[in-house]
Amino acid sequence: MNIRLARVDDLPGMQACNLQNLPENYTMKYYLYHILTWPQLSYVAEDEKGRIVGYILAKMEEDLTEAEEPHGHVTSISVLRSYRRLGLAKRLMVQSQEAMATVFRASYVSLHVRKSNRAALSLYRDTLGFTVKEIEKKYYADGEDAYAMKLSLKELAR
Amino acid sequence: MPPAVNRALPAKEAKLFREVLNFYENRQLKNGLKAADQILKKVPEHGETLCMKGLILTHMGRREEGIELVKKGMRMDLTSHICWHVFGLIQKGEKNYEEALKSYTQALRFDKENLNILRDSAHLQTQLRLYDGLVDTRHTLLRLRPTLRQNWIGLAVAYHLSGNLSEARKVLEQYEAVLKNVPDYDVEHSEVLLYHVRLLEEMGDTSEALAFLDLNAKSRAIVDRVAIIEYRARLMSKLKMPEANSTWRNLIEQNPDSYTYYKGYLLNNDVDLDAITPDTRDKALQTLQEFAAAIPRAAAPKRLALNIADGDQFKELATAYLTAGLEKGIPSLFADVKALYRDPAKRQAIQDIVEGIREELAVTSEPPKSSEPTTYLWTLYFLAQHYSSFSDHARAVELLELGATHTPTLPELYTFRGRVLKRCGDPFGAALCLDEARVLDLQDRFLNTKCAKYRLRAGLTDEASEILGLFTKKDASSPGADLEDMQSLLYLTEEADAHLRKGNLGLALKKYSTIQKVFNEFEDDQFDFHGYSLRRFTINIYLDMISWEDRLRSHPAYIHTAINASKIWVQLHDDPSIAKSNSPGAGFSDTEKKAKKKAKKAAKKVQEEVKKATTTSTSSEDKGLEPQAAKDDDPNGDKILQAPDPLERAAKLVAPLRTVAADNIDAWIVIYDVAVRRKKYLQAVKALNSARALDADHPELHLRVAHFRHTLSSATQLSPEPMAPVVKDALANLLPDELSLEHFNAQYSQKHSSDGKAILASAKVSRLLNAPLDQIEGSVFSVFNPDVSLDLKTALDTLTFLHEIKSSRVEEFKAACDSRFERSTVFKSPTEQAALRWNAAETEAVNGEVEKPEVIG
Repeated sequence: MNIRLARVDDLPGMQACNLQNLPENYTMKYYLYHILTWPQLSYVAEDEKGRIVGYILAKMEEDLTEAEEPHGHVTSISVLRSYRRLGLAKRLMVQSQEAMATVFRASYVSLHVRKSNRAALSLYRDTLGFTVKEIEKKYYADGEDAYAMKLSLKELAR
Repeated sequence: MPPAVNRALPAKEAKLFREVLNFYENRQLKNGLKAADQILKKVPEHGETLCMKGLILTHMGRREEGIELVKKGMRMDLTSHICWHVFGLIQKGEKNYEEALKSYTQALRFDKENLNILRDSAHLQTQLRLYDGLVDTRHTLLRLRPTLRQNWIGLAVAYHLSGNLSEARKVLEQYEAVLKNVPDYDVEHSEVLLYHVRLLEEMGDTSEALAFLDLNAKSRAIVDRVAIIEYRARLMSKLKMPEANSTWRNLIEQNPDSYTYYKGYLLNNDVDLDAITPDTRDKALQTLQEFAAAIPRAAAPKRLALNIADGDQFKELATAYLTAGLEKGIPSLFADVKALYRDPAKRQAIQDIVEGIREELAVTSEPPKSSEPTTYLWTLYFLAQHYSSFSDHARAVELLELGATHTPTLPELYTFRGRVLKRCGDPFGAALCLDEARVLDLQDRFLNTKCAKYRLRAGLTDEASEILGLFTKKDASSPGADLEDMQSLLYLTEEADAHLRKGNLGLALKKYSTIQKVFNEFEDDQFDFHGYSLRRFTINIYLDMISWEDRLRSHPAYIHTAINASKIWVQLHDDPSIAKSNSPGAGFSDTEKKAKKKAKKAAKKVQEEVKKATTTSTSSEDKGLEPQAAKDDDPNGDKILQAPDPLERAAKLVAPLRTVAADNIDAWIVIYDVAVRRKKYLQAVKALNSARALDADHPELHLRVAHFRHTLSSATQLSPEPMAPVVKDALANLLPDELSLEHFNAQYSQKHSSDGKAILASAKVSRLLNAPLDQIEGSVFSVFNPDVSLDLKTALDTLTFLHEIKSSRVEEFKAACDSRFERSTVFKSPTEQAALRWNAAETEAVNGEVEKPEVIG
C-alpha cells in the first residue's frame, strides 16, 4: 500500500474509513481543522485503486500550561480490517511522529484509547511502544474510561 | 434616500451603545441585551440599537423576534453601516452569501474603512469566488493595517486565487523584505516561505524556486524537513541536476512506502514506471530490487516490481511475494494483486503459483510446520477470491467451504462467501453469511458495517438499523440519525438505494436529499477557514482546500445521488400518480423525537473544539447565527413526493455533473432525460453528443436518440425556440433524417444481437414506437439465446420492463432466469423470498444481546 502525507481531497476517504472502523466519529469540519492547522502531521495508506484503507489524524496539543513541553496528539488512527497485518498503522504512526518531532519539536505524543478496546491497546503498547500514563475517568461520551497513553519522541528530535 | 434621523444619542445612551458593541464582541449577550434595553427605553426608535438588540436576541436563540427587530432597525436607519453590517451578519448566518455580501457592500458605503466589515467581505468574496473584488478588499485592508502580517499574506493569496501569480509574488517579496523580528524556529513563517517556493515553481521559475528553498532551508527558516526534500527532489529533477538522485533516495529512506518517491527516482533516470518499455524494464526492475534489498521492511518496491516484470521473472518475483503474503496471512493479498489481472498471462501465472502452494500444503499434512495450517487457510481464501473474480462462483464456494471446515472461526471466509452469493444474485444468503462473520468478532465495527450494508442490499432496512445501532451513539434517536450527523455517505447511499429498490421513492428521495445536504455542509465548512488559515499562515494547504471545494461534487457519492434522485424526479414528472401510491414507511415515535434532540446536543459538543479555534464565540448562551435545523415534518417521505417542481429539482441536482462527471455516460443520459422534459432541446442534444463521444453504441444512448427524434417529431412548440434549426441539425447528425426509427432500431438490434443490454434497449424503443406487445416480448426473450451475454442486473432490469408493459410472460421470464442464474434467489416467488428474508433476518445475534466487551485493568 502507498503511504503518503494526507491531502485535502483524502479527507472524505479518511472520514469513511474512520466510520467503518471506530466508534469515535467526526464531521468533516473537524478533519479540515486538523489538516489546515497541522498539514504536516496526518498520513494515509491507499490501495491500488486510490482508496483510503488507513489513516492517522494528528495534531499538536494547543493551550499548553507553562510547565508542559510541546507535544503531539493522535486524534484518530485506524486501518480497515481487510488491510491489517501489513504494518500500516505502524508505518503511518512513524511518519506522523517524525513530523511532530522535526517540525514542531514535540517531545512526546499522546493518545487516548477506550479501556475496553483490547485490540487497539495492544497495537499502541506492544507494536508502537506507548505506555499507559493514567486512566481518565468517563473520558468518552458514553461514560467509558480511557487510558491516556504516551510515547517519548526525544530520540527523533534533531 | 431618507436622512439618517436621530442617529446621534444623548451622551449617556451613546456610552451605553459603545458598551452594547463591546458586550457583543465578547459575546456577553445578557449584558448586551440589558444595555440595549436601557437605550431603547429612552430612545425607542434608535435604528442601530434595535439592530444590535435583534442581533443579540438571534444569538440567544430567539431568532424570529431578533430578525423582526433587525428589520425594524433597518427601516429606522438605512444609512447606518452598523445596521447594514448586522443585516449582513444575519444573512451570512443563513448561508445566504450573495445577499450578505450586498449588505456588507452597503455598509462599506457608509463606513469605507471599517476593518471588521472589510474582513468579513473578503471572506464572503472568497466563498463566492469573486476574486477581483477580493483583491480590492485585501488591498484596502493592507493599506489600512500594513503592520499586520496576515494582511500581506491575504493580498498575496487573493492575487493567487485570481490567477495573478506574478502580483502574488511581488507582494510576498515586499512582505519578506519588511518583515522584522521573526522568532527562531517559527513554523508559521516557514509555511509562508514554502508557499513562496510553490509560487515560484508554479510560475515555472524552477531555478529561482530551488535557490530560494536552499537558502531558507540552510538558515533553518523553513523547518518542515519532508517538504524541503520533496520540493528539492522535484525541482532538481526538473532542472536535470545530477544531485536529484540522492535527494529522491533521501525521500525513499524517509518513507520507503511512498509510491511517488520511487516513481520520482525512476523518472529522474528516464524510466516512466507508468509506461514501461522493453528498453526500460530491466533498469527499473534492477533499481526496485536494489531498494528492496537495502530496505527489507519496505513493501512498495516489491509490489511495484510486479507491475513491470514479465515472463519468468514475473513468476519468480510473484512466487516470493505471494508465498510471503500467504505465510503472513495477509487478508488483502488478493485485492493487492488483482490489478495485475489486466494481463491474462499474469493472472494465469498467479493461479498456477497459488494452486501449487495449495496442493503442496494439502498433501503435507503430517507433521506440519506451525505456520502451515493458517497458510493453507489463507491460500484457500485467496483462491476463492481468484475464481470468483472471473465468475467461477461454484469453485469459490467450494474452496470457502473447505476453509470453514478447516477453521470455522475466520470471519473473512464468511464475508467473502457473502460477496460470492451477492454476485450470484442471492442477497438473503449473502446477508446471512455476513451475520455469521459479524458474530465471530462483535467488537469489530468493520464487520458490523459490512453486515448492515448487506442487509440493506437484501432490503432488510429495519434489521440493518438494529445492528448499526450496536456502534452508533446510544443517545441518538436512531442509528441512522447518528450516521447522518456523522455524514456517513456510505450508510446514506446504501439506505437510499435500498428504499429505491423496494419502490419506496419518498424515503429514497429523502435520503438522497440528505446526501446533497452533506455536500452543502462540506461546502459551507470552508467559510471559517478563509480567515483562520491566514491567521495560521498555512497557505499551501489552504489553496489546496479551495481547489478541492471547487471540485467537491466530483465525489462518487454525489454523482450517484444526483443520477438516482434525478431519475426518481423524472419518473414523478412522467407519472405524478406514483406520488399517491407510494408505500408508507416507518414514522418516528415521540420518544424517538425526544432522543433525536438529545443526540443533536451531543454532536454539537464535538464541534466545539473547532468552533473555539476558528471563531470567537465561546459562551454556551450563544447559539450562533445559523438557524437551527428544522424538525422533520415528513418522516415517511410523502411530502417530498408531492413537490410541485420535480424537474426543476432534478435540473439543480444534475447541473454540477456537466463539469464534475463529464466522463460518465450515465450522467449525460440523465442530463438528457431532465433537459428534454424541460424542453431545453439544445441542452438535450448536447448531452446526447457528449454521451456519444464516450460510447456511441451504449444501449441507453440508443434509446435516448430514438426518444429525442420521437419527441421532436411530435412536439408542437419546437418552432418558437430560436435554436430549432441548430437542434434539428444536431439530431440529424446523430440520426439521419431519411432513416426511420423502425429501421434505426432494427439496425441497432441486429448489430448487437448478442448483448442483453442492447436487446433490452431495442425492446424499449419498439415500445416507444407502439410495436405489438407479443413482438416486444418475443425480442425480450431472445436474451436467453445461447450466444447472448446476460448479466444479473440486465436480467433484473428486463424483468422490471416486462412488469411495466404488463406482460403476461413475467412468470415465464422469472422461471427462466431462476434456472439460468444458479444460486440466485432474486427471481423466486414472493412466498419463497419471504421465507428467505425471514431466515436472513432471524438470527440469534440480532435478537440476543451483544456481548459486552471485557474490561481490562
